[in-house]
Amino acid sequence: MTNRKIMLAVAAVFLVSVCLSVFILMPSEKREVEIVQNGTVLYTFDLNRAEDREIRISSADGGYNLIVIKDGTICISEADCPDQTCVKMGELKSDYLPIVCLPHKLIVRFAEDES
Amino acid sequence: MNIRRLTELALLSSVALIIFVIELRIPNPFPIPGVKLGLANIVTVYAVFRYRPSETAMIVTVRLLLGAMFSGNPSALLYSAAGAVCCLLGMLALRRTLPEKHIWLCSVIGAMLHNIGQITAAVIIMRSFGVIAYLPLLLVTGSLAGLFTGMCTQLLLKRIK
Repeated sequence: MTNRKIMLAVAAVFLVSVCLSVFILMPSEKREVEIVQNGTVLYTFDLNRAEDREIRISSADGGYNLIVIKDGTICISEADCPDQTCVKMGELKSDYLPIVCLPHKLIVRFAEDES
Repeated sequence: MNIRRLTELALLSSVALIIFVIELRIPNPFPIPGVKLGLANIVTVYAVFRYRPSETAMIVTVRLLLGAMFSGNPSALLYSAAGAVCCLLGMLALRRTLPEKHIWLCSVIGAMLHNIGQITAAVIIMRSFGVIAYLPLLLVTGSLAGLFTGMCTQLLLKRIK
């Protein structure tokens, strides 16, 4: 009986996660982007107005990430960490899913609208 | 602890490490931080059901430390250690209640707890609640991976008596 309850609980958590995942993966309407490292905001810009540019961000342990803004999209194009997850994530699309570089404690995400 | 036991634990640790290193070579189809198949956990789940809790903890600790060294990514250690502690505590607690034919369930719950631990560590280290958004994605992929490793362990336990 307890096994059944545990199984039901696991199934419920799984289904809720599936629903939330679909919701989280929806593309964002926002255009305001911020780059955060170690909990402090380093840069903010409006993707509609920002010029194409590259930003190199160094981390405390000597590593770096190269952030590229191009045609109203933002992505991390280069990093010297071994896992390269932030590079593989591609462009920032979702509100809830920031580009995260765990080794360098770096986050690129959509900011709350101030207006 | 006698020599035989010690050798068995060392053997299991090295098997787990070999699986871990081979898995590093498999390209990850999901570009989400923290998503992994976690094949090395076949050994963890096996140890949970066949060895004492302290012995299982030893195997996992050795795997974590040496794994972080071999993968050349020591900063990932904090995340994986937080996940492993949650996962291990949960699975050791479940071992008492779950019969051996439901090992896959233990593994799935272990995987979910691992993800929760990982995200908690990420929230603390990154000082941002934003990373919680990854949790549902991690839970979905994690429980599927946990199901797979759990079924592998179940086959293994049936064969090795």
